[in-house]
This record gives sequence, C-alpha cells and structure tokens, in this order.
Amino acid sequence: MEGNILIVDDEEVVIKSCERILTPEGYNVKGVTSARDAMEMLKNGEFDLVITDLKMPGVDGLELIHWIHKSNPRLGIVVITGYPSQESIKEALEYGIIDYLPKPFSPQLLLDVTEKAINAVKAKKEEEKPIEVADVEAKYNEIMEVIRKNKDKPGSLIPILQQTQEILGYLPPTVQRLIAKELNIPVSEVHGVVSFYSFFTMKPKGKHNLRVCLGTACYVKRANEILAKIKEVLGIEEGGITKDRKFSLETVRCLGACGLAPVVVVDHDTHGAVDPVKVEDIIKKYE
Amino acid sequence: MERYRANLMLCGGTGCIASGSLKVKEALEEELRKRGLDKEIVVTLTGCNGFCAQGPLLIVHPDEIFYEKLKPEDISYLVEEHFVKGRPVEKFMYREPGKKAAVPTMSEIPFFKHQVLRALRNKGLIDPESIDDYIARDGYMAAAKALLEMTPEQIIKEIKDSGLRGRGGAGFPTGLKWELCARAQGDQKYILCNGDEGDPGAFMDRSIMEADPHVVLEGMIIGARAIGATKGYIYVRAEYPLAVRRLQLAIDQAKEYGLLGENILNSGFSLDIEIYQGAGAFVCGEETALMRSLEGKRGMPIPRPPFPVNKGLWGKPTVLNNVETYANIPQIILNGADWFRSLGTEKSTGTKVFALTGAVNNIGLIEVPMGIPLRTIIYDIGGGIKKGRKFKAVQLGGPSGGCIPEHLLDTPVTYEDIVKTGAIVGSGGMVVMDDSNCMVNVARFFLEFTADESCGKCPPCRIGTRVMLDKLIDITEGRGKEGDIELLEDLSKDIIKTSLCGLGQTAPNPVLTTIRYFRDEYESHIHEKWCKAGVCRELSTFYIDAEACKGCGVCARACPQNAITGEKKKPHEINQELCIKCRTCYEKCKFGAVKVGPRDMFKKEKVGEEVKV
Repeated sequence: MEGNILIVDDEEVVIKSCERILTPEGYNVKGVTSARDAMEMLKNGEFDLVITDLKMPGVDGLELIHWIHKSNPRLGIVVITGYPSQESIKEALEYGIIDYLPKPFSPQLLLDVTEKAINAVKAKKEEEKPIEVADVEAKYNEIMEVIRKNKDKPGSLIPILQQTQEILGYLPPTVQRLIAKELNIPVSEVHGVVSFYSFFTMKPKGKHNLRVCLGTACYVKRANEILAKIKEVLGIEEGGITKDRKFSLETVRCLGACGLAPVVVVDHDTHGAVDPVKVEDIIKKYE
Repeated sequence: MERYRANLMLCGGTGCIASGSLKVKEALEEELRKRGLDKEIVVTLTGCNGFCAQGPLLIVHPDEIFYEKLKPEDISYLVEEHFVKGRPVEKFMYREPGKKAAVPTMSEIPFFKHQVLRALRNKGLIDPESIDDYIARDGYMAAAKALLEMTPEQIIKEIKDSGLRGRGGAGFPTGLKWELCARAQGDQKYILCNGDEGDPGAFMDRSIMEADPHVVLEGMIIGARAIGATKGYIYVRAEYPLAVRRLQLAIDQAKEYGLLGENILNSGFSLDIEIYQGAGAFVCGEETALMRSLEGKRGMPIPRPPFPVNKGLWGKPTVLNNVETYANIPQIILNGADWFRSLGTEKSTGTKVFALTGAVNNIGLIEVPMGIPLRTIIYDIGGGIKKGRKFKAVQLGGPSGGCIPEHLLDTPVTYEDIVKTGAIVGSGGMVVMDDSNCMVNVARFFLEFTADESCGKCPPCRIGTRVMLDKLIDITEGRGKEGDIELLEDLSKDIIKTSLCGLGQTAPNPVLTTIRYFRDEYESHIHEKWCKAGVCRELSTFYIDAEACKGCGVCARACPQNAITGEKKKPHEINQELCIKCRTCYEKCKFGAVKVGPRDMFKKEKVGEEVKV
C-alpha cells in the first residue's frame, strides 16, 4: 500500500512501533510528539492520513482534529485512545474521523485500520476528482472559444491562460492538458508557465476572494497581523479555500494603493486602512 | 466643447475609488440635477490626483478650490453652500497637520507647492477616457511634429540632448538606446512599454496610465518613428485593471482619430500598439525577462549581450522604455532639449515622479525636479513624520534599493548621488520609516521578497538570497551569532558579482545599506537579543516605566489579552505571562511610558537598573 502517514503521540515509543509496523508495508511514515509540531508538518507536507493520540500535553488531539477539519477536510484521521467510550471520542466522531485504535493495539489491528483508512481517503479523493473535470466541461465551449481566438497570435499562451482563469477561476491539470493539446505544445511547457507566474492558480477560488497586500507600505503598517487574523477567522491558510467554497485567501505583492495602506481587496472592492481588529466586520459583509 | 460655469474634477484613481469617489460622483450629479445646476456645472472623473491618502478629492475649477475626504452625505450641504450661495465650505478643505486654518486652494497646499509637473502635467485636469480632453492640452502635437516635421535622426538628437534617462530604475540614457536600435539591422522592429511596476511601494506608472493614458501612446509613437518600429506592446500588470481598461480605450480612440494604425496623419508611417497583461512575476521588470514573457514563455532573463536593441523580442531589434520615460517624451519634442535640461542637474535632467508612502503625514504621488534634497521631499512635501515620531530612514528603489539614514537627508536626488549612499533612485518608490521600524526586519522583508521572486535560473540569486534570508530570519528570531553580519556582507558581495540579471545583482542592497547605517541594530539583535523597536517579537519585552506612566488606563483597555492592570492614576503593570507582544499598548500610550526591553530582561536574576517594575 502507498500513502503518507503522520503519527502524533507524546510517547516516542508509540511512534517508533507504528513506524516499524507500517514502513515495511510500503507506507511513508513520519512521527511528531506534539499537536503543534503536527500542524507545522501538515502545513508544509502532503499527507493522506493522521493517526493521533487524544491526550497530549499542550494542544490536545481534539484540538488538532478540529484544526484539521477546518484547514484540510480531505485528510483522513484515526484516533488512538485508551478510553474508547469517553465523551471525547464522540466529539471526535462528529468531526468525521475514520476509525479509532483502542490502546493497547496489536500490529494486525493497526495494519487493518490503516489500510481501511487509506482506502477511504483515496475513495474520497476519487469521488472529488470529477469536480475539476465537471468545472471544465461546464465551460468547455467558452474555453475553446478563447483558445480559437488567440491561437494564431504569437506569444498566445499567457493571454489564453489569463482568459481561461477568468472563466474558470483556476487552472486545473485538465484544462492545462486541453490547452496544450489545442496549441500543439507539451503540457510541461504550459505547466511551466502556470507555475512561474503568481497570477495563475491551480486551486479553485472561493465565491469571494480575499487578497491581502504585503507590499512595503502595507507591511510597515502591520499587514501581517491582518493576514494572521483572517487566517484565524476563516480557518484557512494562504492559497486555501473554505469548505463551503465561499472564501479563498491569497496574498499579493503591492496593489499600488499604498496611500490606503494596509489594504485588503475582496473581489473587486479595495478596503483601505484596515484595522486587524475589524477584519471580521469586512468578512461579514460578504457572508 | 461645451462651456460650464464650474468644472468639478473628482479624482477617480484607484485610491479615491477605493475610498468611495464613485458614490460621491453619483451624489454630486444627483444633487446638481435636483437643483437644476447640471447645465452650468459639470462633474468629471479624472485620473489619480496624487494626494491619495486624503481621498476622495474634488477640485473646483476655475477657482482651484480643493476639497478632501468627501462623503456622499456631505454633498447636499456642499452644493447648497458653494454652488448656490457661493460660499466655499471650509470644513471640507485641507488642513495642515496640527494647524487649524483651512487651506482653500490646491496650489497653496505644501504637498503640491514644491512640485513641478511634467510627466504628470495632465493629472487631475483631464478626463482620462476622453481623447478630446488630451488634445485640448496640446496632446498629439508632439507626435504630429515628430512625424511630419522631423527626421528620425532629429528626434534621436533631441532626446539625446535632453539628457533624459530611463525612469524605470537603471537610468540608461534613452536617446542612446534609441540610437543603438535605430542603427540595428532588422526587417521588423518593436517598441515596448514597461508598465510591469513590481516594486512594492511604488505606483507611479499606474497613476500615469490611469490619469493620462494618451501620453504613453504619444511617447511610443515618437519612439517608434525614431527607431523604425511598426509594432508596439504595452506590458501592464494584470493587477492594474483600471490602467488596462483606460489604455485600451485610449488605443481605440487614437485609432479612430487616425493617430494609430496605418499611415498616421498621412505621414506614411504606421504603428499598431497592443496591450499585453503580465501575470505577476517581479523578474519580468527586467528587460530580457519581459520579452520572454511577451513571447508566452516563463519570464526568465537571458545573458546580455546580445542586447535587446539588437536582438530582443522574437530576436528582433527592440526598445523597451518605462511608462514615465514615455510620458516625458512629447514635452521634450514640443519644448526642446534645453527646456527639459532647465530642471535637474548636469547628469540627471528633468523631473522624477515618486510614490511617497510610509510614516509621513502626506502620502501620495509627487513629481519633483531632479537634484532636490531628500529632506525637502520628506519634510516640506511629505509634511514630516506622522504623530511627531522620529525619522529613521527612507527606503529608495524597492527591493533593489537601500535605506538612507538621517545624516544623509541632504543628499540631492540624482542618479549619481543616490548610488553613493548605497541605494538607487529606482523606479520611484519612496517609503519613509520612523523609529518604530526595525531595520533588520525591513531587510528581512525585502530579502523575503527577492528570494521569493528569484526566477531560479542562476544559482547565486536562487541559493544566495535564500541563505541570506535564513540568516536574517535567525537574527530576527534570536538565533543570531557572532560573525553573522560579516557572513551577510561576504555573501552580498558574491551575489552582486555573479548574478545573471539586475534582480540578483541588486538584491543584497537593502541588507548592505542597513548594515552600513544601522549596524548597531544588527548587533543588539545578535548580542543583546534586543529589538529596540519592539518589532521582532522574540527579541522584545514590553514593560511600563512607572515614572512616565500617568495611570490613564488607555493601555489596559486596548490590551487584547487583558494583561495590563493597575489602579487609576497609578502606574500600571504588564503581566509578562499573558503578554503576546502585539504592540498595541506601545502604540496607544500617549506618554511614551510603554518601553521595550531585551528578550531576557525578566528572566535574568539581575534586572536592568532602569527597570522599576
């Protein structure tokens, strides 16, 4: 089996034994001893499954689950617990954990539960995949029209990508393949351009897109605090999108509205002289 | 053109639109209609006026009365008083910080008084969406003169004689560039305009494109004629939608009037101009990278020579100039090189537009003669430092530039003098910092930017900026150690020497200048673990000076953590366990009683003597 797994337990020995059991099966296993470290790891890496203890000093497992639920709902969660009947398990179940491992557990049970969980995550991903395809299909004619209009002009790739993104909101692999085929160029070239320019995004945007300016003038007026506050309110990271697809968040390099610093742009509205404390009010306007 | 009793020029720049000028426009038109004044008084939406922080702005011509910060609900009163009863309304006028008297007209406001408008001569005076307005201000006269009365050699000579240098940052002589390209052999030549304004803190080009799009086209027509180009592109950031829209409108109008397209003004010369939207990559401000981007590729620079004037876009001879450079061209052709040279210094002629932002009272877009001292810009035009704080540094040239300290404020703004300080004039971003800014953190900010924007082609820039950034992060987070400063200096020298393009060659400038002028701050970060400005959270402790504290309680009410306690009129105290170092109390305190101490001030047994907590 393949899959990237993160083990979170304050007891090093649990991590070690899980690694010993899961690694020979082909899983890629990493372990951390606190929920805080786990959040750091999850922010920076691609994982399929988190196996976490509930009782931990500092931030506990439930808080971690809550955080994952908000920031990356696709991630599978399995809970390790000594007391399966406790209230906390019920609460964890409400957040859609896949399964739990009662302590102490046998190697076979760990393997079974892990396999089941990884399969569930993959099935969910499969299920979600067509969204991107469906998005492209729904706008197929418009996209083809854009390609047809620009195709024969020199240097047409970037304008085509810009207009396609205007239509779709993002540039998923499906549409990159389509454009490559129509322009008769390698997909790698299209992807090379998409990944080079910050204007292009491969992630879908929310109904409302928040852009926080981090230019010099905004930065010296503490734009980073505004960003932190928005992340906290929406529970998403930069480049992320809320579960209901309502809000997405990105940062930009200077919008040239320095006179109004610090600036947050929502869709096409520019909000100037934003006070970190009042960020919530701005978001509420678009709820 | 219709004549009106009064022309109300309402600013429609990005800044003023954001602060609500479109709603003010609706209210004004509605009110004038209601009172039957709409036949006598007309409202025009102009491009950026420049005084962005005071928006929305309204200037009433012919009297030049200046109103600021207007709201739709003020309009009824304003129209009643000013346009019915003829009494200009003082309460909407500008006041100098700390002074009570209203300043009624624009030319009396210090922010405008020291400026000389050349590149921005039409700002706020014309409707940027009307070619007729532009023509009424001598628009396209220079193009006509260049096409009908001058040879390409004469055009080039005039520009060379004027001493005009590229306003995008590097300051290369424009006339020389044109001459080199005119001499180059090629069946097709291109003229490009760089509107990919990427420096954080700069918005000069955006304002010109929004306020006076035709001047850019006219400059390009003249340049195209000089070098023999028949096709032009304007490369604009996609983040500037209003500029794109107005430029497109200007191109369409110019075509309709026969000022663009085939056989312009029957001169036999043809030129077509298209807009190309950038996709957000700072390195695309570099000329070879910009051309790759226009070709639809990843915008990565290539080694020079061959220079673009010989082999540029699609391998053809190409001239690329900045928006502001083009905005200067028509005036030089009309008034002559000597007129242009009448301002500025021997080697830096004419004027320069700056985007003045940061800790000054007056924020906005300004145009000043070259050679003006920095001090005049910051104190006379900028109105000094906000909230009476102390000036610390002025950052010029964005991520390629540097920070200039107090003792060099009398440096005249010329290409040569600014370079001597370690900064560059750059495209014109000018960010003023006060004593609440930490210079190490500022250097880190710019390095974060360049490390992120490095295209990755050459290792000195890709890896070098990253290593420097890691060091700066270490220093600002308390892991700095002996020798770090020297290492940063060493790395800087190597990166400058070995990088492929301007991005890498200038990236260490912010670090080098801050080390040069604010070495003590680096040292206190590294040795004392103390960020004296209280910006680097890991290196500061906030405490209240019991002697200075008046016990007003403002800090306690403002504290989001409820970490401050104390009785009324008695010294307050900060609970260090609860404090998250958000600086709120530090900024709110009117008596300067909140102080910043080193990281470990309460951890050591021996507490510093000045601390009586």
